[in-house]
Amino acid sequence: MTMTNADKSAANAPQSQSYGLSSEIERRKAYVQADLLVIPLIILLFMGVFSFHFALLVGDWDYWVDWRDRRWWPLVTPLALTVLPGVFGFLLWDKLRLPLGGTLTILCLTLAAWVSRYLNFHLFAGFPMNFVWPSTYIALGLILDCLLLLTRSFFWTGLFGGFAFGLLIYPLNWAMLAAFQVPLELHGTMLTVADLMGYEYIRTAIPEYVRIIEESTLRTFGAAVTPLTAVFAGFLNILNYWFWLWIGYLGAKAIWIRKIV
Amino acid sequence: MNNKIKSLVVAVLVALVGVFCHPSDVQAHGERAQMPQLRMRTVHWIDVKASTTKLAVNDIVKISGQFMPSEFWPHHVKSIENTAFLNVGVPGPSFVRLDSRVNGVPMIRSTSFRKGELYDFEITLKARKVGRYHVHTVINVEGAGPMIGPGLWIEVTGDNAKFTNTAKTLLGETIDLENYGFANVELWSAIWFAVGLAWFVYWLTKCPIVVPRFKRNQELGVDADQMITATDRRVGGIFLALALTLIVGGYVYAQERWPITTPLQTGKIDVPQVHHTDDTVTLKLIEARYRIPGRSFRLELEVSNHGSSPVTVGEFAAGNLRFINAKVLDVKPLDDHDLVASDALRVEGGPVAPGATQKVVLFADDAMWETERMTTMISSPDAVVAGLLHFYDANGKRYLVEFGGPMIPDFGMVKG
Repeated sequence: MTMTNADKSAANAPQSQSYGLSSEIERRKAYVQADLLVIPLIILLFMGVFSFHFALLVGDWDYWVDWRDRRWWPLVTPLALTVLPGVFGFLLWDKLRLPLGGTLTILCLTLAAWVSRYLNFHLFAGFPMNFVWPSTYIALGLILDCLLLLTRSFFWTGLFGGFAFGLLIYPLNWAMLAAFQVPLELHGTMLTVADLMGYEYIRTAIPEYVRIIEESTLRTFGAAVTPLTAVFAGFLNILNYWFWLWIGYLGAKAIWIRKIV
Repeated sequence: MNNKIKSLVVAVLVALVGVFCHPSDVQAHGERAQMPQLRMRTVHWIDVKASTTKLAVNDIVKISGQFMPSEFWPHHVKSIENTAFLNVGVPGPSFVRLDSRVNGVPMIRSTSFRKGELYDFEITLKARKVGRYHVHTVINVEGAGPMIGPGLWIEVTGDNAKFTNTAKTLLGETIDLENYGFANVELWSAIWFAVGLAWFVYWLTKCPIVVPRFKRNQELGVDADQMITATDRRVGGIFLALALTLIVGGYVYAQERWPITTPLQTGKIDVPQVHHTDDTVTLKLIEARYRIPGRSFRLELEVSNHGSSPVTVGEFAAGNLRFINAKVLDVKPLDDHDLVASDALRVEGGPVAPGATQKVVLFADDAMWETERMTTMISSPDAVVAGLLHFYDANGKRYLVEFGGPMIPDFGMVKG
């Protein structure tokens, strides 16, 4: 089978002409249309995937205000939360040079979480919103993205951004959470406001003992549980972020697709 | 084709209505689904009652009664003697729990209960949502799940909007638990959402971004960082500084606004014994047979009366089903779903005289065995049953005695 002259000229022509995009205006129009198609799809994908992932790995720690303790919640959350910013952060930077992976994925998670809490937990199940509000993590994604943009290095982003991601979850949310850890008394027992809400707003399937909070002990360090957990979460999250970047790197190489096809 | 599309649309709408309409008349929620052995051999509930069955939003209802963890607790089920929690089975927070006590001890935290011991309980609820609810007492057992008690229909009338629920903090502030702290949550969430969105919009202003940046990135290869402009870096620096400032600012604000806080509270509490073992009536199970065709449970017992008055069986309770000996007791169901068979217990061989030991045979015959799915007890891996017998003496004093042991099914296939 031989190529005709017409075939050869078509093959040698610029890519845009081969699709009939003869003018700059047409080309731009096509690119905008691609954006209009791809970006909403990516947003929906992030909302769905991240919600599912977060529900499986963090779940109750983020659903209920009486689960957000100072030991487990700030440790479990960054480890689970870093997955999508790591993987998609790599892809968006590597393929498009867009420092958006952290902010956009967490922005989508936040949006989906608010919709779910309002419709499912509040309107349908009847819990007051102040008992089921989602924590905020947008700043953590933003810090990752900004550091990636400024350093243009995954190594430094992981070292500083990954650390900050684990370190700052508690102080970031403290502005909203502090009010719920004010002490009060019920029948001779001291509780926080969050504990009282957990007791009063009946959850048949979530008895008190199910909460994984305040377990284990620190023999020393006095009452400095929160900063210790935060620093530990930060160190752990450096490795965690690098690991998920590596997964993103493998995904970008698409070796798995070549193995299938 | 059009009709198919219309049908599909209608089906989707009906499904959505089903999903989004809040069920105000909620039906039973799975108590029959539990294995019969689990129901018969975990917790026996006694005299469970509500102070009222019709009340308005903000009114109080007290659920009270007694329970006894079974001595025949299945070995393959985590024990109630480890960690347990007295709970309420209702659809969502249709009530708020103001108080719950066992033997007078507040049950805010988890505890453990001893097998064979009788406990008094009382739960105080405040009506929050209008509707008709099947309210169950529940004991959640760690590793085993909920042990569901009898259900009572309670109707709540009035206006949901008028519900109030306040508390006073140790700092002297009176708070409304329905919305306390939420305006602050909304504010901070909105601030962070706006900041994140602004970052996203900044990059969207470069639209079209997907195809052109992909191509440019491919062209530049290792020099792709050239795509990042000085303005991008400046904006990045500003957003980074803004994020860190807001985090620190928010933290300082919260420390100033709520300087005194405590960690979440948890732990276990102990419940002292109130009812001591009463050996006035003791028994030995000789045989338990369940005849499937007749829905008939036959118990052969050797009963000893160590008291001073003759005793007879007035009630046989198993798995929240109550079979009443009408010659001794007059018990009527409290509502349509109260699992009471008012005249379904036949007793042969009683009463048992003081000081005597004699054979007593009980027949508990009722369709409830079938309708409450207790007949699947023949599928048990160890074929052991248990129940609680209510003996009454001549003065009407009650003695609660648990029985338990192997059960032999009778399939009605053998004649004679």
